[in-house]
Amino acid sequence: MSSVNESAAASEAAHESMLDLHEIQATVLRPRPAPYFGTHVLLRIDDANHGRELFRRLTPHIDSAAAWWSAKTPWLSVGISYAGLKAVGLPEDSLQSFPEAFREGMAARARQLGDTGLNDPKNWDAAYGKGEVHIGVQAFSDSEEDRRRILGVAREQLNGLSVSILAMQDFGAQPGDRNSLGYKDGIDQPAIEGSGFDPLPGQGEPIKAGEFILGYPGEAGFPLPMPQPDILGRNGTYVGFRKYQSRIGAFNRFLQAHGNTEAERELLAAKLVGRWRSGAPLVLAPDLDNPSLGADPQRNNDFNYANDLRGRQAPFGCHIRRMNPRDTKLTRLTDVKLHRLIRRGTTYGPPYDPNALSDTDDEVARGAYFLFISAKAMSTIEFLQQEWINDGNFIGIGDERDPIIGLQEEGAAFTIPKDPVRRLVRGIETFNVLRGGEYFFMPSLSALKWLAGLHQ
Amino acid sequence: MATQPQSGPAPQSDAGAQKIQQLRELFADATDVGKRALENVIKELSSQVSAPPPPIESAGRVGARLGKRSELTIIVPLVPGGAKRLRTFLQLLGGNLSPGASKVGTLHDMRFVFFDNDTRLLFATSFDGDWDTYIDDFIALIPDYLDLMDSAWEGWPGIRNPGAKDYLVEHQITAEGWFVAEPDLTLAEIQRLKRTGKAVDELLDKIQ
Repeated sequence: MSSVNESAAASEAAHESMLDLHEIQATVLRPRPAPYFGTHVLLRIDDANHGRELFRRLTPHIDSAAAWWSAKTPWLSVGISYAGLKAVGLPEDSLQSFPEAFREGMAARARQLGDTGLNDPKNWDAAYGKGEVHIGVQAFSDSEEDRRRILGVAREQLNGLSVSILAMQDFGAQPGDRNSLGYKDGIDQPAIEGSGFDPLPGQGEPIKAGEFILGYPGEAGFPLPMPQPDILGRNGTYVGFRKYQSRIGAFNRFLQAHGNTEAERELLAAKLVGRWRSGAPLVLAPDLDNPSLGADPQRNNDFNYANDLRGRQAPFGCHIRRMNPRDTKLTRLTDVKLHRLIRRGTTYGPPYDPNALSDTDDEVARGAYFLFISAKAMSTIEFLQQEWINDGNFIGIGDERDPIIGLQEEGAAFTIPKDPVRRLVRGIETFNVLRGGEYFFMPSLSALKWLAGLHQ
Repeated sequence: MATQPQSGPAPQSDAGAQKIQQLRELFADATDVGKRALENVIKELSSQVSAPPPPIESAGRVGARLGKRSELTIIVPLVPGGAKRLRTFLQLLGGNLSPGASKVGTLHDMRFVFFDNDTRLLFATSFDGDWDTYIDDFIALIPDYLDLMDSAWEGWPGIRNPGAKDYLVEHQITAEGWFVAEPDLTLAEIQRLKRTGKAVDELLDKIQ
């Protein structure tokens, strides 16, 4: 997505935005830089006054989304959990104006999210799911040096405050901008109407801004319910923050068990995702990888499934066809535009290693933290988890689950449609295990100032 | 585990006997027909109450779900003339909302029953999954069909109104009993099995 910055046509594609970009936090609209470097910091507020003081100090350093398509890095953003809003003394009627799932928190919604078994909150890292994570700060940069500098700025604001750091995790680009399973990721993002920049080819019809940012009309024609008072809700949004551990030993063993040659294994890896590891979509490059296609933002997302109605190129159950079915005929009356999320994937740990095959490799700390951003992030994530990730019924493949981020049951399989008969690949495991998650509210810059000034 | 004191539910046979006893007490003041019927089926019942089938769950905010299938029963007062309009609309479609309703992809059945001199309506349906999973999709894609039917309902705010979901919840009554013969077969799965069955038949014909 660095493409936006690099594109020669960038200035032509920019328009006046219909959104208050100066109010919206940068992370909501700014694409991840390439390469990217950053840090997630999770904080607990131990004193309400100090919590508000932190907002007062931090706010001048939080970037807005103004000119998000060409803005320079680094930047900081901040999200606040329901427990965090309570911890700074947000009045009760205001607290109650937040959606139920947000108030309950991600761990308490495990049933609706299908976070059971391996993904059960009881197996999460110590910091998560206990109502202790009050604030999440994200630092994004295009260089390691700037990452350190901006993180230093964030940390200085904590000086002398009763605010505890619960966890701090650096993340960053792998060689070739790959994730921990070896794929180029983050390619397909929803286009947002009125955000000030032309969609990239294949991004699809722009979606109403109110689906992603509070205070604007959504697809139904009216704004979604907003936390009150208005100053708090407007131009804010929600973030589903999820930490995944990649079990690359299990993933590689699966590829080895079902592919005899390097070429067969790479094709299988591509079938699971719907793209070659280079990012080239199978619909445009069905038989052989095309790295230059994968690297070209003007072409690597410019497709639909009109010529792949039977899933011979991109299997129905592959990751990208699930997460954005585009024009695929679904079994249920579905408006795909209502179920999209802005994704900021942030990979951590050592790069993917194709030769890692052991159980021990499964436990090497590597994976991704995701920020799933939407004005109704909680219900969208629950929908996706129930319908598009941990089920296959919506796309006509029974109980099959997403091969990349699904929670697999014993004996799970993956169907690859093929002539004359489909290939059923058995023994698929949970390749990315959930290790933590929280819901954050990502307020506007005015809302941050308003929060800082509470009880004064 | 072994060192922990024994706790939890009583052995199944005791629980079963208790429920049977409870039933007998309940039927003590029933009619003779009712009492006799209870005694006649009590043997079969005792095996069922001691080994209960999979539990009925909630279908989201309201309603009952068994396996993948949920029920929805709504009883609403009708606006003057509402019954006539809705009845005529249904009759024009042969009392059957297909093919429009088939497009939804999760609806197994629907019934519209007018009663109390056309002043009230019972609407009952069964569908796959939770109650509100796809409601936003319906609002986005078939709002006018919903409003066409629901405008006969007294106080219906319009499907695009943010209060529409609350209206439905207020008028819905969760079923106490809910039986589904094949609770794990969704509509999409039934259709897939039909296609598979047909393909197998064709294959068998070819190899003969």
